[in-house]
Amino acid sequence: MTPVLSCDRVSFAYGGRPVLRDVSCVVAPGEAVAVIGRNGAGKTTLTRLIAGLERAGTGTVWVGGRDAARHRADELARRVAVVFQHADQQLFARTVREDVAFGPRALGVPHRESAIRVAAALAELRLDDVAHEHPYDLPAPMRKLAALAGALALAPVLLVLDEPTAGLDRALRARVASVIRTRRAAGCAVLVVTHDIAFAAETLDRALVLDGGAVAFDGAIAELCRDPVRLRALGLREPPVAALSRTLDLPGRPVRIDDAAPIVAACCASGGLPYIGESHGQT
Amino acid sequence: MTLLGLERVSFWYPASDRPALRDVSLRVGRGEIVALVGNVGAGCSTLLSVAAGLAPRVTGGRLEGTVTFPGPGTTGEGRALLLPVPWTQLSGMGASVRDEVAFGPANLGWPLARIRAAAERAMAGAAVAHLADRDPLTLSGGELQRVMLAGVLAMEPALLLLDEPTAELDGDGAAALWALVRDEAGRGAAVIVATTDLDAVPVVAHRVVWLADGRVRADATPTTVFGDDAIWRDGPGGPTVAEVWRTAGLAPPWPVSVTMAARAR
Amino acid sequence: MSGLHPYTQLALAALLPALAWLVPGAPAPAITLGTAVSLVLGTPRAPRRLAAVAAAAAPFWVFLLLLHPPARAALLGLRLTTLLCTAAWLGAVLASGRLVEALVARGWSARVAYLFGGTLAAVPLVRAHARRVSEAQRCRGLASRGGLVARLRAVHALVLPVVLSVLHQLDERVLALETRGLGAAVHRTPLDPPGDSGAQALVRWGAVAACVAALAARVA
Repeated sequence: MTPVLSCDRVSFAYGGRPVLRDVSCVVAPGEAVAVIGRNGAGKTTLTRLIAGLERAGTGTVWVGGRDAARHRADELARRVAVVFQHADQQLFARTVREDVAFGPRALGVPHRESAIRVAAALAELRLDDVAHEHPYDLPAPMRKLAALAGALALAPVLLVLDEPTAGLDRALRARVASVIRTRRAAGCAVLVVTHDIAFAAETLDRALVLDGGAVAFDGAIAELCRDPVRLRALGLREPPVAALSRTLDLPGRPVRIDDAAPIVAACCASGGLPYIGESHGQT
Repeated sequence: MTLLGLERVSFWYPASDRPALRDVSLRVGRGEIVALVGNVGAGCSTLLSVAAGLAPRVTGGRLEGTVTFPGPGTTGEGRALLLPVPWTQLSGMGASVRDEVAFGPANLGWPLARIRAAAERAMAGAAVAHLADRDPLTLSGGELQRVMLAGVLAMEPALLLLDEPTAELDGDGAAALWALVRDEAGRGAAVIVATTDLDAVPVVAHRVVWLADGRVRADATPTTVFGDDAIWRDGPGGPTVAEVWRTAGLAPPWPVSVTMAARAR
Repeated sequence: MSGLHPYTQLALAALLPALAWLVPGAPAPAITLGTAVSLVLGTPRAPRRLAAVAAAAAPFWVFLLLLHPPARAALLGLRLTTLLCTAAWLGAVLASGRLVEALVARGWSARVAYLFGGTLAAVPLVRAHARRVSEAQRCRGLASRGGLVARLRAVHALVLPVVLSVLHQLDERVLALETRGLGAAVHRTPLDPPGDSGAQALVRWGAVAACVAALAARVA
């Protein structure tokens, strides 16, 4: 199966300062990868290379079967949709609907198909009732979702999201998580750059950790979450469920809420936890 | 000692029939840290603007009810607000971070020596002292947010207001910010912070105020507020640990932090 | 040149176009333009600045040559180009922070000083924002290269959003700066007032005198 993204020993320097060192990774269709690391670890630079906005110094970046170095950003937009940080400040049409339609129109998608995609993206993110509004009349979190809808309308094989949950509340984070899940099921690969390890643990499977521009970890996110020493060394916060599992020594060391809940319920029932919660019969 | 008092405050933005705040009463005292939580559009940012003395003076609009802040003047001295997007607050006047941080105190007309000392102290507190000579425009979002925080702290406000201060920050940066907030409260400042980082709230805040549709729906300790199913159904929810307990079908009160979960009740 | 007191920079920037307009005869605008160009050559990225000036002046020259006989068109064109070139020089050397500090040191209130300096300070921020919007558009399929039409379309797609978001951010920015004490009733403490000298003051008065003399010569 051809990978959707393939980075082969990519290095990049900005003004003489190395930002990415020898980064290699492969992402298959349907995979969900979290790109994690401290501020300044090189995460956003990696997304810019994938988007075709910068050229790697050495090494190659293959996106959807194309060499990112040999194609312009607008050409790569046919394969990869990138939603940058502060996407709420990058909207540019007069209504949300028009903004979402910008991408398909720019790519030359026929009008009817474009309308279908726009409607689907708006519905998926539950933005129908604000679709006619001017983007800047909406609060910033809603604008972020509108930017995400715009990316979905491009129907990419690779979706790259940079800090999609920053400033979002639980309900809106759930919408983003749901979008990621449906895209994966449809065969799209999803790359999420994020500080929010808790969100990553709940929604994604794999973690690619950058430290000082180099790959420090590439494996199951659950494995990363269960290693507090390593998390600390990489400047990452231990996500709450993993911390809970470790502190209470829960069997199986779950890292997701839905996995931890039944175990906690069972432990409480058997009296195995210090903080006893009484069951009140609901599930 | 009450530092800020809002008594039955309602506020309408200009050209808007719908009040952004309805009948809000709130008191915050010295050394208290109050977390403001709510869904998008609930009015948290508006409440902070009112508390900062910026609404309606700068934003326009209409205010009913009373806002009391025993500060040096009505121009907002003694209180400072940190906004979520650092570039909006960047004055652009400072060629260096040091000058940018000094912008606020300079506007307050302090003697130069006091300004410089306050700026150095604030930069050290916000862990941006190593960036003192850098051009603010070359900084990353996280670094700039910390610089803006230093800029706000340098004004030595008695009332510190923070609007989503950790949105740009990574794990370490966020932890450092919360530690700084606790220090400021320890020094006697009153702090109100609007945040979506509900896991941090029980660890940092003494009180949680839940705003829904401009109204105060709850104002109590984290355990009480997050132990009520209402905030999960209609509001922003709560800390992850509490969510685990809630999803498990267990009865409240739920632990709101890992530490609490590890302690016997 | 960038070390000069902001008032001196402003005086020079006003002097050159004023002389170009007021001093009668053909050589004057040519001399002032030559001076302005040599000033720009002393700034960083001079070729780009001169290219921008040429691009801005070009449409005006076209209209002038259509409407006037060549000699007159050249005269007016040189005056206009002097103005543009001087503005480009001023943009390069005038630091907004220093201007605000200079105004405050002379007794202006912080708010008024910031009105002048703040608009200049906004330029790099707007530029950075325009770049981010342009990148976002490119990543959504807008072709920015490949022929004049494509480039024009790309620029056109960029203008309105940048203007709109700048206006939107203006509200937030006013609020943000108020939170940093800009509206305070006290007088702002100057942090680092730009150094002035007797020589510079003399130059400024000389500039004013030169303008007055030129005006007198013209009227007489």
